[in-house]
This record gives sequence, structure tokens and C-alpha cells, in this order.
Amino acid sequence: MEALDYSRFVLERFDRPPNAGRLLGRVVRGSAGEAAHGTRVEFDFRLRAGQVEDARFRAYGCPHAIAAASWVAESAAGRSLTETSWMDPMELAAMMELPDHKLGVLLVVEDALRDASGHAGPAD
Amino acid sequence: MTNKKPIYLDYAATTPVDERVAKAMCECMTRDGVFANPASSSHQPGRDARGRVEAARRDVAALVGACPTEIIWTSGATESDNLALKGIAHRYGNRGRHIVTSRTEHKAILDSCQQLETEGFEISYVTPGADGRITADLVADATRDDTLLVSIMHVNNEIGVAADITEIGQLCHEEALLFHVDAAQSAGKLPIDVESMHIDLMSVSGHKIYGPKGVGALYVRGQPKNRLEPLIHGGGHEWGMRSGTLATHQVVGMGEAFRIARQEMESEANALAKLRKRLWHGLVGLGGVFLNGCPDHCAPGILNVSFDGVEGESLLFALRDLAVSSGSACTSASNEASYVLRALGRSDQLAQSSIRFSMGRYTTIDEVERALQIVTDKVNRLRGLAPAPRGDDAHERAG
Repeated sequence: MEALDYSRFVLERFDRPPNAGRLLGRVVRGSAGEAAHGTRVEFDFRLRAGQVEDARFRAYGCPHAIAAASWVAESAAGRSLTETSWMDPMELAAMMELPDHKLGVLLVVEDALRDASGHAGPAD
Repeated sequence: MTNKKPIYLDYAATTPVDERVAKAMCECMTRDGVFANPASSSHQPGRDARGRVEAARRDVAALVGACPTEIIWTSGATESDNLALKGIAHRYGNRGRHIVTSRTEHKAILDSCQQLETEGFEISYVTPGADGRITADLVADATRDDTLLVSIMHVNNEIGVAADITEIGQLCHEEALLFHVDAAQSAGKLPIDVESMHIDLMSVSGHKIYGPKGVGALYVRGQPKNRLEPLIHGGGHEWGMRSGTLATHQVVGMGEAFRIARQEMESEANALAKLRKRLWHGLVGLGGVFLNGCPDHCAPGILNVSFDGVEGESLLFALRDLAVSSGSACTSASNEASYVLRALGRSDQLAQSSIRFSMGRYTTIDEVERALQIVTDKVNRLRGLAPAPRGDDAHERAG
């Protein structure tokens, strides 16, 4: 795939990410990456009875980073944060038609999810 | 993304062929036109073609104050740059093996210098000031007793900054150094006079000023035959400096483009300066926008800016209703942010998030206004998606 030639998956989530922004109040946050290095991702999760009731993301990065963060925030709904294996970077890369050299972007997104998972206590 | 054609703001990359140029070119292709080989002096059609080629040579020479016999046709500015540097180095390498150029030159110069380094030449790369300008003082500091050649571009292709060519030319003249200028971005945009600027060699291109792609020229002071070692052999065309049958239609097109530029350059430059000013003032209103370059010494149609708080690849993709260039690594084969902006001291983030807007003959104020609206919308949207700078939540938006 050439530069600036993105899959529909990426294009739609880049143009119209349904869950961008932040949640106020009592939420579990996770973050990873550095803007200075090209990618930073932050998640807010609101939990109810141990399951994600609502999620938002913020992302500084390439279109793939924004699309991946958006997908994770959307896909987390109804799941427990203590288990994050559903976010498989290789499977997501295939869905996104991600160029090989961009895999590191998905690892930042995964790290942000894991960071949130680490902050989610048993009571959450 | 709409289905409308993007607004073309990439005139520094290339320009559309002017209709007047296309008409002149079409006269030199089909059997009812001037199609013969201009080297075929034994018959009238050949002499007619030669006449058109020489008229074009006069038009190119006239724009820069040269004699027609000092113009060699090439395939473009890249070949001209190669011929200038390697041709001089190979002819005069016994006089000196040191060359001065700058870190912000076009790759045609930098890669040619790199090649000459493998042949034993030493190259000094001048670093511009923060405004991107190469001055005579910077060049003077880099020259040595064994300096053979100074090669500095007139207008930088990425940031549009004009080097102090007159002063550098004076320096080279006084120090008896050969002076080459890559004028691909300035010919037809800014006044050039090879005599008063003491330029010994100069590269120009057809397609940057509404001529065809695939043709350029090299100005060589005096008799080209005695000044350069050719790169291409075979037939002795162009005084033996550049063999190969001349592409009459390309050459004629370039000549016509230079003729038009000579007539219209001043009024066009004034119009472009106004469009550039409007674009810059509109962009500044966004906040976190940085000018890459020098506002007082620049080509009239080029504006390069960096946007704080947005990632370069996303910015370029978001701006796909505009045809613009980016300093982002995603558009370069090297996977590195613009080496020109890095040489100016820009951070990697700001180099990545730079956009070059370059306007030209057909750009309208309506297009500039629409481009401003698009940039404003997209930059604000991307900034809204991004996390707040670390330790500052104030700008995050509520979900």
C-alpha cells in the first residue's frame, strides 16, 4: 500500500471517529506513547459492574493510530478491562491493511489499553 | 473527500503547461509541422527546426541576461545540476578539489556532491540561519585555498527562501571561484542577470514555469566547450557538451515559456505576493502556526508553514482536498522528515507537520479562501482529537 493510500477501515474511522473525546467523572484512564515520537494515545473507560459501559479516545498520530484507537474504544464496550487479549495487533493490522513498517503504531495503542487495564482495580 | 478536483497549490513541484506553450509545441510534432531533426542541416525542414530551436535558445538566454551560445539544452534541472558539478569537477579537478554548497540544496546537488566525494573531492555543506537564507558570509566562512566551485540554489524548493545570490556572486568573483546557481525555482519568478550576479553556471527547468517536463538548460559562461567535461557522449550536439537529438517540441515549449515569463513575470509576482500574504494572515489566525523561511527574501508564490499539535501524515491526509506538499516522512522515500526544515533547526514534530503551499499563474483568491477554510477546519479537528500537551488538561474537550 502506498503512502496516503488507506483502507476504507482507516478512512472512515479517521474522518468520522464515533468515540473521540474524553469522559468526565470517575473513569479508568490509560495512555502510552509520546507526541514527540509521533504517536500518543489516551483512553477513558467508564465501568459498570466490571464491564466497560462507555469509552473515549484521544490520539496524536497518523491516520492508522487514530483509526486503531477509535476501534479499540468502540470494541471495548461490554468487555472487562482485566482481559485485553481481544486486542491483537496482528489481527488489527490485517483488518486495517496496515503497512508492515507501521506495526509500532498499533503497539502504542495496545500499550495504552494495557495501561488502562493495569489501572482497573477489582472494584472497578 | 468530495469528488471535486483538489485545489492545486503545488506549483513549486510542477506547473501546468501554458496554452500558448502547448500551441507552440504542437507546431513541432506532426508531419505538417516543424518535425524534422534540427541537426539535419542538409535540407530545409531540418533548417526550419534548427531555427525554432535557436529562437527558443534566445528566449531562454534573454530571461537571464545570457548570450544564446551560453545555453545548453538538457533533460531538466537535475541533469543540468549533474552536468555543472561533475562537468566542472572533472575538467578542473587539478585546480582544486574542494566544493562549497549548502545543506538545503536540492537532492540533484547533494547527491552529485556525494558522488564527487567518492571520487576524492571534499565538500563543505553550509548550514543556513534559522530563516533558511544562505548569505555571502556563510559561504565565505566555508571557502578554502583549494576551493574550486561554489554551488548555491537561488530559491529553495521547499521553503521558497532566496539566497543572497548577488553578494555570493560578488564573493566568488573576487575570490576567482566558479559559481553555479540552481535556479529551477527562481527563473521566471525573480529577476536574474548572470552578468551582474557573476554567475558562471546556472541550471533552469521548463516545467517549473508553465513549460513542458523533460527539458531544461544549463547556462555556461563563455564557451561551454571549453568549460565542462560532458556527461553524455555521442554525436557532438550542443557543442559536444550534451549529445543526443534535440527534442524540438520540448525545447520550443521551454523557449515559449521563458518568453512569456519575461513579459509577465513582474505582474505575476505582484499578484502571487498578494495571494501569499492573504494565505499567511489567514493561517496565523489558527495559532500555533510557524513560518518556515524568511518573509523578506522569498519567491512570491511559496509559503511553507508548520502546524503545532498535529501529526504530519494525518494533516496531509486530512488536507486531501488540496494538492500540497508536505515535509512529512510519509511522502519521502527516506522515511525522514524534511532535511531542509531540520537544517533550519525545526523539531522533528514541526518538520513533520509542515505544509508547502505554492501558488502560481492560475491560482485565484477564491481558491486561496477555500483552502484557508479547509485548513482551518482540518487543523482544528485534528487538534481536537489529540491529547492535551502533557501536564495541561485545559484544552481537552469533554466527551
